[in-house]
Amino acid sequence: MTASSAHPGRTLPPSRRRERGRAPDAIPLRMLGVSRRTSVTLTTICVLFALFTLAPLVWIVINATKTQYNIIQSFGFWFARPFELVHNLLLLNQNVGDDGTYLMWLEKTVLYAVTGSVGATALCALAGYAFSRYSFRGQRVLFALVMSALLVPIAALGLPLYLVYAKVGLVNSVWGMILPSMVSPAGVYLMKVFIDSSVPADLVSAARIDGAGEVRIFARIGVPLMVPGLVTVLLLSVVAVWNNYFLPLILFSQNNLYPITVGLGALASRSTSAGSTQIEPLLVMGGFITVVPLIALFLMLQRYWRGGALLGGLTG
Amino acid sequence: MADAIGIAREGKAPAKARLAGAAGPRRPGGGRGRSRLFARQGVVAVGFTLPFLIIFALTMLAPIGYAIYTSLFTTKLIGGTAFSGFANYSQVLTTGWFWSGLARVAVFAAIQVPVTLFLAFFFASLFDLGVIRLGGFFRALYFVPFAVPTVVAAIMWSFLLVPQYGTYTRLVSLLGFPGTNFFSGHLIVGTIVLIVIWEVTGYNMVIFYAALKAVPREVVESAIIDGASLRTIITRVKLPMVRPAVVMLCVLNLIGALQLFTEPSIVSSFQPGAVSFGFTPMIYIYNTAIGDGEYNLAAAAAVIFALVIAAASVGWLVTVKRKGTIR
Repeated sequence: MTASSAHPGRTLPPSRRRERGRAPDAIPLRMLGVSRRTSVTLTTICVLFALFTLAPLVWIVINATKTQYNIIQSFGFWFARPFELVHNLLLLNQNVGDDGTYLMWLEKTVLYAVTGSVGATALCALAGYAFSRYSFRGQRVLFALVMSALLVPIAALGLPLYLVYAKVGLVNSVWGMILPSMVSPAGVYLMKVFIDSSVPADLVSAARIDGAGEVRIFARIGVPLMVPGLVTVLLLSVVAVWNNYFLPLILFSQNNLYPITVGLGALASRSTSAGSTQIEPLLVMGGFITVVPLIALFLMLQRYWRGGALLGGLTG
Repeated sequence: MADAIGIAREGKAPAKARLAGAAGPRRPGGGRGRSRLFARQGVVAVGFTLPFLIIFALTMLAPIGYAIYTSLFTTKLIGGTAFSGFANYSQVLTTGWFWSGLARVAVFAAIQVPVTLFLAFFFASLFDLGVIRLGGFFRALYFVPFAVPTVVAAIMWSFLLVPQYGTYTRLVSLLGFPGTNFFSGHLIVGTIVLIVIWEVTGYNMVIFYAALKAVPREVVESAIIDGASLRTIITRVKLPMVRPAVVMLCVLNLIGALQLFTEPSIVSSFQPGAVSFGFTPMIYIYNTAIGDGEYNLAAAAAVIFALVIAAASVGWLVTVKRKGTIR
């Protein structure tokens, strides 16, 4: 499946030249009865909300180049001398607040995000395929059980996990973070809904009649058709792990295991007590560097989420 | 068992059954060969679900069970751990912290969820009907905060709003409100509402947008022919057709809002004292467990809180269903 299937109905020619910047198949504005004044008002509101959205991100880019003094004293939305971009980048490898270095946290975050999201995607694909393309005893009950987990507050699960880990010795272990990251009931739901609509049952049956084994059917026919769904689940899992704060916060007491979120949180709690003058610059630079990979990932994979695949059954 | 699978399969998936066995519909019990085929499929299906189910059981079901078990005991410095029944539960329910935290997140949710959904739907319907030029650009831009980790978002906003030197604090002061303290007792909930709206509106908007796009174009066209205005089309034609999305987003946002933790704890790093011991239920649970080391008590609080959230979301879904807004 490619982008073309995500945007059906884009074949109509653009109806009028004056409405540039609108989708080619959009209903002409004149027909919607939108006066010029309404249009201007609505556009203004959109621009204001865009500024509201963009301002903190602009702030973080600008302030990643400042010294502590200037972060506090100079105007937040403009640059100030000295220009400390390189100096602040070097801070990423320094143990400024005694909680380890940013690069260490980044390395751990990547480890958790990659293993957790790849694992989650694989498990969701297998389970979603089974729930969608097979019928077996207890299927409905199992699926209902998995779906009921959607109502369990994930953060409220952090403490119970910690209690179990304390019993089995998984506190301060990377597995303690990776294993729960691999479980995504929402991902199973998304995959099931996606497979329902894009892996034809007839195709699976035809392959079966041709004598293909079940695993082979899954790998050769199912997986290639599931790619957009897989990418969506992968994206959502990466974001979930990258953002996770509560679980690693209660799980890890050794700072060499911290992901970025916990590391920055620990650094932030040192910012008010007078200490190193490097804490604020590192906080800002670290925050900026944390955001970059995710935004890049989203821009690269735009066609998958912009079509609205994030939502599965909600669209129906 | 093999036959049972055959029957279940036949009943639920006639299309598949028809292809798998030529005479399928005429043989409710299934022949020997087909039964064996389905038995094998049952085994394969279980094999496919097993990896997920094992880790699911280990990291979700087992912890929940163990938390309930733990909550029934009390650990004393002298005397060790002893069974204490519901003593921890009554202690949680009689502490003011749990209730005040719950009341605070309830107020928080009552403001944040409707405002977020209103904004998200408002923008999604503008972009959907193409009322705004460059809608695709705005749509991508509004979604960007979804890629910003909550901790980073809270840090940025704290820098912008901190009373001593925050850029927004200064701007507000220039606008005629000197000495505004966004982290004071009066404003802190509103401040966190603002931060969370910044974080989640775009994501909600994308979901609304996809739901709106699924509404057939003919529906809007006939509304136009009937002389409906833009506002009528959005509120009377489109909105009722995306009710399921509204209902689900309500639940998801509600669950998220009640679990509020990250934003207040980061804010409290910038302004010590801005956030109390039991500011939200999650903060209360964290402080009780990690701060005080009272794991049994915290487990009881976590169980109660999970039940409250489940009850709130199920209650909401049942209410909505009874009113007949979703099928």
